[in-house]
Amino acid sequence: MARLIVLGGGVSGHTTATFAKKWLGNDHEVVVVTPNANWNWIPSNIWVGVGQMKKEDVVFPLAPVYAKAGIDYRQALAVSIHPDGKDGSDKPYVTIKYTGQGKEGESEEVEYDYIVNATGPKLNFDATPGLGDGNGQMGPHTVSVCTADHAAHAHSELMNIFEKAKSGDRQKILVGTGHGMCTCQGAAFEYIFNIEHEAKKAGVRDNIDIKWISNESFLGDFGMGGLHMKVGGYVVSSKLFAESLYSERNVPWIIGAHVNKVEEGKVHYELLDGTMGEEEFDFAMLIPPFSGVGLKAYDKAGEDITSKVFNPAGFMKVDGDYNPKPYEEWKAADWPRTYQNPDYSNMFAAGIAFAPPHIISKPMKSVNGTPINPTPPRTGMPSGIIGKAVAHSVVDLIKHGDNAKLHEASMAEMGAACVASAGKGIFDGQAAAMTVYPVVPDFEKYPGTGRDTDYTFGEIGLAGHWIKHILHHLFIYKAKLKPGWTLIPE
Amino acid sequence: MVLPLKKYPDESININAGPVRSFKDGFTQMKEDIIDTMKEHNLDSLSAVEIGYGYQLMVLKIEDNYKVFANPRVITQKESFISKEKTPYLFNREIEISRYQELSLVYDDENGDMQSFKIDNKELASNFLRTLDYLFNTTILDRLKPEYRDKVVASLAGKCEMPSFLDSTCPTNSKKDYFISVADKLLFFMFISLLLPLFGVSKETLGSWYSYDKFAFVAVWVLLVGFFIYAQYEAKKYKQCTSCQIGNQIGFVVKRGFANIVLFASAYSIIG
Repeated sequence: MARLIVLGGGVSGHTTATFAKKWLGNDHEVVVVTPNANWNWIPSNIWVGVGQMKKEDVVFPLAPVYAKAGIDYRQALAVSIHPDGKDGSDKPYVTIKYTGQGKEGESEEVEYDYIVNATGPKLNFDATPGLGDGNGQMGPHTVSVCTADHAAHAHSELMNIFEKAKSGDRQKILVGTGHGMCTCQGAAFEYIFNIEHEAKKAGVRDNIDIKWISNESFLGDFGMGGLHMKVGGYVVSSKLFAESLYSERNVPWIIGAHVNKVEEGKVHYELLDGTMGEEEFDFAMLIPPFSGVGLKAYDKAGEDITSKVFNPAGFMKVDGDYNPKPYEEWKAADWPRTYQNPDYSNMFAAGIAFAPPHIISKPMKSVNGTPINPTPPRTGMPSGIIGKAVAHSVVDLIKHGDNAKLHEASMAEMGAACVASAGKGIFDGQAAAMTVYPVVPDFEKYPGTGRDTDYTFGEIGLAGHWIKHILHHLFIYKAKLKPGWTLIPE
Repeated sequence: MVLPLKKYPDESININAGPVRSFKDGFTQMKEDIIDTMKEHNLDSLSAVEIGYGYQLMVLKIEDNYKVFANPRVITQKESFISKEKTPYLFNREIEISRYQELSLVYDDENGDMQSFKIDNKELASNFLRTLDYLFNTTILDRLKPEYRDKVVASLAGKCEMPSFLDSTCPTNSKKDYFISVADKLLFFMFISLLLPLFGVSKETLGSWYSYDKFAFVAVWVLLVGFFIYAQYEAKKYKQCTSCQIGNQIGFVVKRGFANIVLFASAYSIIG
């Protein structure tokens, strides 16, 4: 009997674990190690953040789902990986520290035959002074929608702002990215337009100034170098599309910004052109940058091999080309295909946890030398697809031996769909539904933009909102492993 | 080499311009072609896209120098004003459009090194912003208010003089809204008819109202179909308009269609 350990129970880890267990059956063991008790459908957190959903609508307990699936669930934090084993044993193992199940604080060594690192990101609030509390958590000056708890807190703070606006006290809301190297502009994009939508519904829009701040070098970059969208039969750049949307909703913007300090009611930022600025706010939702979760790796002798297994940001190295090279030499082939660690063939990474070879957007630095560009999005659909491909590979390795062909899911050959809400409501909701192919531009195959415009298009409207709402229920249904769950695509 | 300039209605102006990644031979050729074409046509600015290259490269004539901007981005813009400007794509017809006078830019220079640049001059800023738009699949027409754009397009077709009107934003009230407005009024009176039995209205009067309901039921469907067809036409014409996309149109039709069915079914059971 082989044992697969999956670190992480988010979109990617949950997908990997559930498919692996389904395909392996009871002949082999699947263990999930995650510090969280609940699964969270993160794309709907923005609706929790404006009070259109409750926290309970976007989370569910993992334990009963894993019990039903026959997956060994350990509510614990992965601390270190020991891929060579230890003195007296060649068996690789991972050290975990429990956060629940009545074993809080207890440590344990869990041996494995295969391991998939799908921990997701650490929300690195402390990368920006004042954005964090200095202890790795969100600071007191801003809010976040990155977790369901954060989103519920954001809603409560937002309601205070609406109350003040109702009483005639003019309020200022700032939404965007809290660092020059953030990803997930999409979540901030959704949140700002949902706030705007709710402010209108509450009758306080006229008394609230809403402003966007982001590290994108142009509006509509979305961390992917922009999109070219087919709208009404025409191809439109996401820049024009986004500028129109922001203008229509009376939302001014600051772009190319690295937020370098947050204080009570004020952010300080540096722009790509080198200028420094400040922006005051009464309410700010700023997405933090992501980093690896801080997993360590040790060899058999106990020597630290973290830098061999992980990149400096803490993401696991896989089969990508990590040799530094100038932008003009970046290729689609640099991106990983199998997500297998080059040094340890029984080790994989999926979702945000794998180290990208480079960013997707054009690299930018301010004239002062500060890097200001979105880092590659690896969330949502790509995360699920990669998780499933990795599960396939591990299952084949277990069933057919070390020579089994690995399954591939390169982000440079993968399309992704994204539905970004711009306001919730069964009759007055709006969302931008977008597909992009490939996620990572392939400049050799598609000269110019690197993307196929036949498969890269978008549309904004009420139907998009309905799709997003349907997807909310569909993916939670799938994650709960209800009948027919495997038929629902990632 | 002087290359031919794209002219309206050549839709190949909408090629997707990718970032300039290499600053070697191909780049030099492209840059020289742009400058040669500018000199030939006495232009103050020109993008690679206007002569058929799908890259984010443009040249701005500043005094007597040709300044090259690869991968340009506008970081801040201030002080809006109404610019009267011409572009070869639209046969140098004068068009009024809202622009910003003060720009702060970043771009890659001819060695691929990132630089910043500031513009505080109405003419230079207009030239820069208009040319930059071509790099993002946008022409000056896309930034015009639909009513004005209609007139400009008609003028380009030789149907009228070039109009004088301005703005650069999306329509907030387009002609398709008339269909919805009339449908809403018909639906409102269908709703009113349902309340009449509460006031002891005579059978004859109720009969007349029921005839109205039957007429309105059909008329609302006709209006919704008309709305949908016209909205499709508008969506194709005003591609920068995010409020006239098919999702919204479906939403409008489904909402009114549903209300129409419910109101008529209620009228049938209560009055009919």
